[in-house]
Amino acid sequence: MAPEVAPNPDDRTDYDHSFEQEALPWLDDVYRFALSLTRNEADADDVVQETYLRAYRSWHTFERGSDARRWLFTICRNAFLRTRERARHQVETEDGDVEALASNVEQADGQRGGDERLLARLDLGPALSKALDRLPQPFRSAVELVDVEDQSYEAASDILGVPIGTVRSRLFRGRRLLQSMLLTYARDAGFATAKPRPDDAAPSHP
Amino acid sequence: MTESPRNSSSAADCGPDCAAVLQRLWEFLDGELGPEDTAAFHAHLSLCNKCYPQYNFEKTFLDALAACQCEKCAPYELRCKVASALKSAGFTPVQPLA
Repeated sequence: MAPEVAPNPDDRTDYDHSFEQEALPWLDDVYRFALSLTRNEADADDVVQETYLRAYRSWHTFERGSDARRWLFTICRNAFLRTRERARHQVETEDGDVEALASNVEQADGQRGGDERLLARLDLGPALSKALDRLPQPFRSAVELVDVEDQSYEAASDILGVPIGTVRSRLFRGRRLLQSMLLTYARDAGFATAKPRPDDAAPSHP
Repeated sequence: MTESPRNSSSAADCGPDCAAVLQRLWEFLDGELGPEDTAAFHAHLSLCNKCYPQYNFEKTFLDALAACQCEKCAPYELRCKVASALKSAGFTPVQPLA
């Protein structure tokens, strides 16, 4: 197989055309990821603009044939971190605090028997979308990348700049938090009378 | 895997036990297990009526999560801003960006 080459910065037509073909189609994906990082539409807009400007200026470094979306996500995260540094605005909760929060939610959730059937009775889409918006960092980024944007653990690890084990941990805790939020929603919506069966198996995700 | 399991008694005879399957169910659903483990999990889940409901629930949950992406697209105003910023940087599109 012939080696892939980077876009030629001296050939502006080729440079722009390849950028248009390979980078721009991922605008919606980059926007969703930026939104998951910023939790604010105006800030997400700024991060997306910055991401695409950086991507365009660095397009000659992109290896053709590789995953442009993953490349853009990495730039997006870096742009977000730079913006956050500039604004001196702490958006991301410290891991330790959020780990404690996740632990509390899981403990408060208590018995999970019967939860599966409770959730099965919900129209998951709207409730899940709201729960995802409320999911704290750093869990939200891991869930967004793997579950919504279909990135592998390895790709998410590269994009987030953390080990794969950390991605896995954040992802699993994020999912458990989402499920807990959905159960609260289900009970608030009047499904609280569902009684667990004694033989329901509780999942044992780490 | 869309069919319900037929029986449970022999599920653990052909690979991982229920605890191991439930422990790594998300990794299985994420396609993060190797080929041998994946095949063993498939075999177990197709036989085990204890693990299969949990598998079915988690798959429904993850499918719903994946579907969330359809609801959020970059707004038109943002497309215009990105187009304007790129043009200012020298980008010449073949097709209009917004």
